[in-house]
Amino acid sequence: MTVQPMVWGVGTSAYGSFPDRRVETLAWDAVSEAVRDADISPGEIDAIIVGSVFGPPGVATRVQRGLGIPGVPMWTVENACASGTSAYHEAVEAVRLGRFGCVLVLGVDQMSTLFSGAIIPEATDPEGAASLPLPGLYALQAQRYLGEFDVAPEQLAAVAVKNKRNGLDNPRAQLRAVAPTVEEVLSSRMIAEPLTFLQCCPTSDGAGALIVGGQRGRAGDVVVEASAMVSGALWDHRSTDVWGFASVTRAAEKAFAQAGRTPADIDLLEVHDAFTIGEILTLEALGFAPRGKGAELAPSGHTARDGAQPVNPSGGLLSRGHPLGATGTAQLAEVVWQLRGLAGPRQVPHHEVGLVETMGGGAAGMDGNACVVTILSVPS
Amino acid sequence: MSSELGVGRPTKRRPGPVGGGLPVADSRPVLADGAVLGVRCTACRYPAAQSGIPWCPVCYADVEPARFPTTGAVWSSTVVAIPVGHRRPPFGLAYVDIDDGPRVLAHLDRPGVLTIGTRVRVTGTDQGDLVVEPVVEEES
Repeated sequence: MTVQPMVWGVGTSAYGSFPDRRVETLAWDAVSEAVRDADISPGEIDAIIVGSVFGPPGVATRVQRGLGIPGVPMWTVENACASGTSAYHEAVEAVRLGRFGCVLVLGVDQMSTLFSGAIIPEATDPEGAASLPLPGLYALQAQRYLGEFDVAPEQLAAVAVKNKRNGLDNPRAQLRAVAPTVEEVLSSRMIAEPLTFLQCCPTSDGAGALIVGGQRGRAGDVVVEASAMVSGALWDHRSTDVWGFASVTRAAEKAFAQAGRTPADIDLLEVHDAFTIGEILTLEALGFAPRGKGAELAPSGHTARDGAQPVNPSGGLLSRGHPLGATGTAQLAEVVWQLRGLAGPRQVPHHEVGLVETMGGGAAGMDGNACVVTILSVPS
Repeated sequence: MSSELGVGRPTKRRPGPVGGGLPVADSRPVLADGAVLGVRCTACRYPAAQSGIPWCPVCYADVEPARFPTTGAVWSSTVVAIPVGHRRPPFGLAYVDIDDGPRVLAHLDRPGVLTIGTRVRVTGTDQGDLVVEPVVEEES
C-alpha cells in the first residue's frame, strides 16, 4: 500500500547576491518558514534531503546545527540545476513508499562567493576544458533552434520581457527594479550569440524548503499527483534535438502518465529558464507546443500571467535568480502558493493544477545531467 | 582577484591550469597524425571521441581504438562574447558532426556563426582545443 504524498509547507529565503551572509542563515530562513507553513514541530521531521551543487561541502550538517533535529537520516544530492527538485523527488518517493512520514527538503547554494559572473567551466569536462561556458552551451541550443525553424530573436527576447515583468511583483526576486522592452533585451550586451545579457539569469544566493508528508486533511496541503526524475542519456551525432530536449520529454512523459493528465490540464507552470531559449525548448519538450512553435507562446500572451497557461509567474530564474540547488525548491514554493491562491499580485486566475520542471545540464555528450517534472494540484 | 571566468579564483570547480588551478587529466578529443582519435564499437560501430570507456554505451559490446576523419559538418555554432579562462572574446565554438564519426565541440578559426551544415575541416589544435575552419567543397 502506498501513501499519497502531499506538500505540507514551503518556504524560501530572499534571492540575491548576499556574499556577507552565512550560507546557513539562508537555509534557516527557508526551513523556518516551511516548518511554520506546515504547522509542524521541527521534531516531527524524520528525514532531511538536501539539494546543492556548490555546497560548500558539509552545508547540510552546518544547517542542522541550528535546527535541533540531529540524528535523522540525511543526505545531499547533486544533479546540477535539478538538484533541489531531485531532493524533492526523493522525498516524495520516500513518503509514497512509506519509508518516512515527514521529510524536510532543502535546496541551497551561495554562488556569489564562488563566481563573479558566469559559472567557471569544469576543466575535467571535455567541453568545459575547451572553454565552453554555460551561456555558450545554451547559445548553441538557440543557434540551432533559430537556424532550424523560422524564429526571430525578438521571440527569444519576449520570454525575458514576460518573466522580468512578472518578477516585479515578487518581493523575493533578485532582479525587480525594471522590466525591459524587447528592444532593450536585444540591445543589452552580447554574452554568447544570440543570447544577450538580459536573456541570462543572474548569479545568485538563496535557499528553499518544503515539508513533504502524507495525507492529513489539513487545508493548504497540496497533492503531489506525479513526480518523475530521469538522468541524462547520450547526446551525440544521432541526436536531432538540441541537448536537454529529450531528457525533459522523458521526464514529462512519465509524469503525465503517472498523473493521468495531458498538457491541456495544466493551469500554470514554473520551468527552467536559466536562459530565454530554455523556456521555449522546455515548453516544446513538455508538449505545450509543437517543435518550432514554442517561441510563439510568450509573444502571443499564452504564457503571460493572465494568459491561458501562465509560465513562470514568479519571474522565473531570469528574475528570481538561480542559486542552483535552491532553484527547484523556489519553483515548487511558487506553484504551491499559486495553487493555494495566496500569490498576491502574482496570482494567476486559474490555479487547480500546476507543473514544475527543472533540467540540469553541463556534462558533455549527455542530453542533460537530470530532469525532474512534477505535477501538483489542489485537493478535490 | 579577477572578474574573468576561471582566472585567479580558486573555487569548488576545478578551473584547470589555464584558469589558475591545478592540472587535471585532459578529456578533450585528440588530434593526431591527421585524424581525430577515439573509439568505435566492434558490433554497432558507434563512434565516440573519447578513450577509456568500458564498453559501447549503446549496445555494451567491446570498443576498439578508432581514427576519425578531420572533415565534418556544423551542427550548431556560436560566438562567445565573454572571457573564459585563457580565451578572450570574441571566440567561436561549434558542434561538428565528424564524417562517419562523433559529434565534437571545436573552436572556429575565426569567430562567426556558421550556417547549419557548413562543411568544416579540423586544421589543428589551439592549446589542446580542436580548431576547425570552413572548407569549400570541390566539384567532382
